[in-house]
Amino acid sequence: MDILQNLALGFGVALDPVNLLACFVGVFVGTLVGVLPGIGPVSAMALLLPVTLSGSPQAGIIMMAGIYYGSMYGGSTTSILVNIPGEASSVVTCLDGHEMAKQGRAGPALGMAAMSSFIAGTVAIVLLMLIAPVLARFAVAFGPPEYFSLMVLGLTLLGFMSQGSMAKAMIMALAGVALGLVGIDQINATARLTFDRLELLDGVGLIPVVMGLFGVAEILSNLEHVVRREIVATQIDGLWPGAKDWAASKWALVRGTVLGFFLGLLPGGGAVIASFASYALEKRLSANPHRFGKGAIEGVAGPEAANNAAAGGAFIPLLTLGIPPNVVMALLLGAFIVHGLQPGPLLMTQNPAMFWGVVASMYIGNLMLLVLNLPLIGLWVQVLRAPYNILFPMILLFCIVGVFCSGNSAFDVVVMIVFGVLGYLFRKFGYEAAPLVLAFVLGPMLENNLRKSLILSQGDFAILVARPISAICLALALLAIVGACAPALGRGRKAVAAGA
Amino acid sequence: MIRSAEFWGGLFWLALGAFLAWQGRDLGLGRLNDPGSGFALLWIGAIMMALASAVILGAFRHPGQSVASLWTETRWRKLALVVALLLGFALAFERIGFVPGAVALLLALMLLVDPVDPRKAVPLAVSAPIAIWFVVTKLLKIQLPVGTLW
Repeated sequence: MDILQNLALGFGVALDPVNLLACFVGVFVGTLVGVLPGIGPVSAMALLLPVTLSGSPQAGIIMMAGIYYGSMYGGSTTSILVNIPGEASSVVTCLDGHEMAKQGRAGPALGMAAMSSFIAGTVAIVLLMLIAPVLARFAVAFGPPEYFSLMVLGLTLLGFMSQGSMAKAMIMALAGVALGLVGIDQINATARLTFDRLELLDGVGLIPVVMGLFGVAEILSNLEHVVRREIVATQIDGLWPGAKDWAASKWALVRGTVLGFFLGLLPGGGAVIASFASYALEKRLSANPHRFGKGAIEGVAGPEAANNAAAGGAFIPLLTLGIPPNVVMALLLGAFIVHGLQPGPLLMTQNPAMFWGVVASMYIGNLMLLVLNLPLIGLWVQVLRAPYNILFPMILLFCIVGVFCSGNSAFDVVVMIVFGVLGYLFRKFGYEAAPLVLAFVLGPMLENNLRKSLILSQGDFAILVARPISAICLALALLAIVGACAPALGRGRKAVAAGA
Repeated sequence: MIRSAEFWGGLFWLALGAFLAWQGRDLGLGRLNDPGSGFALLWIGAIMMALASAVILGAFRHPGQSVASLWTETRWRKLALVVALLLGFALAFERIGFVPGAVALLLALMLLVDPVDPRKAVPLAVSAPIAIWFVVTKLLKIQLPVGTLW
């Protein structure tokens, strides 16, 4: 009953005309950046964060969330029509989706991708609604040791699930924590790593770092070679999948939704791993695995369901614990903080309109996406035809404007360019940027909770293992490290991460 | 070995780890029951050095690609040009103003990197910054630099 009352409150917030408009803008921009290869939800959210400051916090967060789950929908369009994934989470959709397009079945592939996304996205919201309040009640009892250990677990799992070497991922996470510590120490008020620059006293901005590592670096990587896109010349009709397609896809959709949702909960899991894991699972369970890669519709339904369910699941750790499980959620955490809100176990009780408003807006946003995606596929195809040599200068200009508006400082623009170059070099040398950004956001909280734990325990590290939840988290983190070091498990981990 | 990208990558992180540890020590470690500002930095630096050493040791066993080979068959000069143009813009746009600076940047990017037909490039390079300026300053009420030269 409580849930229904809260949901009614949420719909009251979400159906407010301004919030409705924010939701529409969010899912529209999300779909657009999902469609466009080379600009992802992280850059788009960072770009639009300053824009949200002129509105209410609810409208801002609703728009940011819309960009994220909207991009999950849009990413499949490019995968199917161009064989270039608009998003990393749509990489596997290329395998069978593009094959279907080449066989003249682009319509059912696009339709199934949209329907799977809609169904899984909606189920994920229902699960979010049911699980989040329970977890939040549980998390109220968390103290500094639990939070510290949970964050250590999160960062370790992120390293464990990274595609490359775990040592490299952990190095990036450490660099991120160190970067997060730049500025005035919150406890002792000492300036750290500021090199006597006044601009660094408040720390390095999240938006310049994210825009550099994900926006500018992506463009530099794309410019290394001439970008060519060939859109499949096929008639896109019959978007509604037939009875045979539904029969082939229904269980893939169910399994993808469940798998995606729970992988989305895990720190470092998220939409990318979920889509790969779903594809691998469907291939393994199929009676005719040789059909995969040759246009099997369940190879589209499963991963698309999984990445959308994961996007929904990822909101739970952020909204209930205040801990972002992936980079996009880290940026959403930044958006909450910028608007003067702290996501965590108290959000639901202290600001129910915000929590339930965001949840309700996700129902509405999913419906909008279904309406947007199917009839507007022609428009997205036109967007894909925009030449990259016109597109990239525009994206760079938007990045500059977004970064400048976030802090009204040209120094931030320089920071963005520096991180753009660093991000490009990280890619060349095989270091992933995601652990750095997540650790950058978590860094100050991690240090704060460690110091508070030590102060509470009079300097006794045993406090971290004396409390059960903290001890379990640290044990799991240790297991992940041992798992990555053990050759057999390490190979298995890389196989899963590389997409089975 | 000395050309290995893995080796140089590891060496960079080893140096950064050493720097962080040194900074941590310099800032003060405090006591265990009241850790100082440098406590976390020292540990971050130390763990980073250990992990970077593992990467370097790994490079001895599997050197992998050389640093130079990472850029073979790439258009690295174009990348350098884009970075130089961006830096030039970032350092100058507060003086010359957002709109003139952005027009110049877009023109340079469109005409010098992957040349666009000037009949398309010029109208786009002029109209896009003006449209952005209008939206940002008039609708969103966020100030963009007008320049100090004029």
